Amino acid sequence: MTPVDLALVVVASFLAGLAGSYLGIGGGIFLVPFLTLGIRVDLPVAVATSLVGVIATSSGAASVYVRDRLANLRVGMFLEIATTLGAIAGATLAVFVEPRVLFLVFAAVLLYSAAYMARTRETARERAYRPVRDSRLAARLDLASIYYDHEDQGVYRYRVARPGAGLAAGSVAGGLSGLLGVGGGFVLVPAMNAVMGVPMKPAVATSNLMLGVTAAASAFIYYSRGLVNPTLASMVIVGVFSGTYLGTRLLLKAKPRRIRFAFSIALAAIGVLMGLRGLDVAVVP
Amino acid sequence: MISRATFDAVHRRLVALRRGALSEVEDTNRLIYHVLRGGILVSVGLIVLGFVASLAGAGPLPETPVPFRGLAAELRSLTPAGLLSLGVLVLVMTPIARVLASLLSFAKDRVRLYVLVTGIVLANLLVSLLLGAR
Repeated sequence: MTPVDLALVVVASFLAGLAGSYLGIGGGIFLVPFLTLGIRVDLPVAVATSLVGVIATSSGAASVYVRDRLANLRVGMFLEIATTLGAIAGATLAVFVEPRVLFLVFAAVLLYSAAYMARTRETARERAYRPVRDSRLAARLDLASIYYDHEDQGVYRYRVARPGAGLAAGSVAGGLSGLLGVGGGFVLVPAMNAVMGVPMKPAVATSNLMLGVTAAASAFIYYSRGLVNPTLASMVIVGVFSGTYLGTRLLLKAKPRRIRFAFSIALAAIGVLMGLRGLDVAVVP
Repeated sequence: MISRATFDAVHRRLVALRRGALSEVEDTNRLIYHVLRGGILVSVGLIVLGFVASLAGAGPLPETPVPFRGLAAELRSLTPAGLLSLGVLVLVMTPIARVLASLLSFAKDRVRLYVLVTGIVLANLLVSLLLGAR
């Protein structure tokens, strides 16, 4: 690898860290195509490197979001049961499943949630606490929380609904990351926001917190198989951390509407890419 | 008419009060923040040291990771390969350390349900590591 390549890696990782921390996704979905197509790294090494990038995004972003009490630790921990189980199931089942079908199903889900996210707004009034009764499970889990929004300087208390449906969505997210190697953030954020009723900022923050755990297990395995290139990974780590530094600050100050809009654009773009892959039109490897 | 300065002072006070309301979220957050922050700082520190060592002529930049068994020897002679590999490993371990820290703080606060939840997550992580190491 030339010094120019390494400099490019830092820039690309910066962008991945920025987008990843702002949208609650790992950023691996951007890093893998860049590494394989942009600087011709072998796919397994690219996946290993991007997993390290996902962990860096997760730690860099979550440290800020946890400090500012934006991430919901309980929701994160609870859903991690499902994502880790789903990841095990996905990795085990990967041999039996036709990836094309999966890509098409996933594309449909992404495009639907892109439309949903773009259509629903999230005004202060809509974020306000509604005195409805929690379900038995939700009450027992005590998932409701409170967060401070830097943008309008309001404190919002929110309930967390449908924990069971959240678990199901979490296992799908984990399963996808086991099967396809794509991060679960694209499923986790809409699931928390649309299904469980967590406002956008805490949903993004909590997703960032969770992604590192799923990625860490796989990254460890890639490391022991000798697939992590330490020099490349170090460049990615440095780039990603600078990206999350900016991304987290942007998120804290952003209007939820902006985040939703950016998120639905990213969802739609990735949905289209996944769909093309399912239809065997090779755009990214 | 209220002066601008008075208005600002009242406004600042209100913001401070709202922030204070957040402290009812328990301080598990502080511990987890320190774990994540610590992981980042140690990892970046090791990476910077690795690049400095390489510039000082302690060895070439590595292409493949140092296996766990060889790591101690590489670190004793402060090679870039050892330092960068350890930097990456520290980063990879940070989320797992975070889950352990959550377990400890849930146990300290005697939130039994969440000790169970975190225990299940750790067990799952262990299973996936064992499956992958095969």
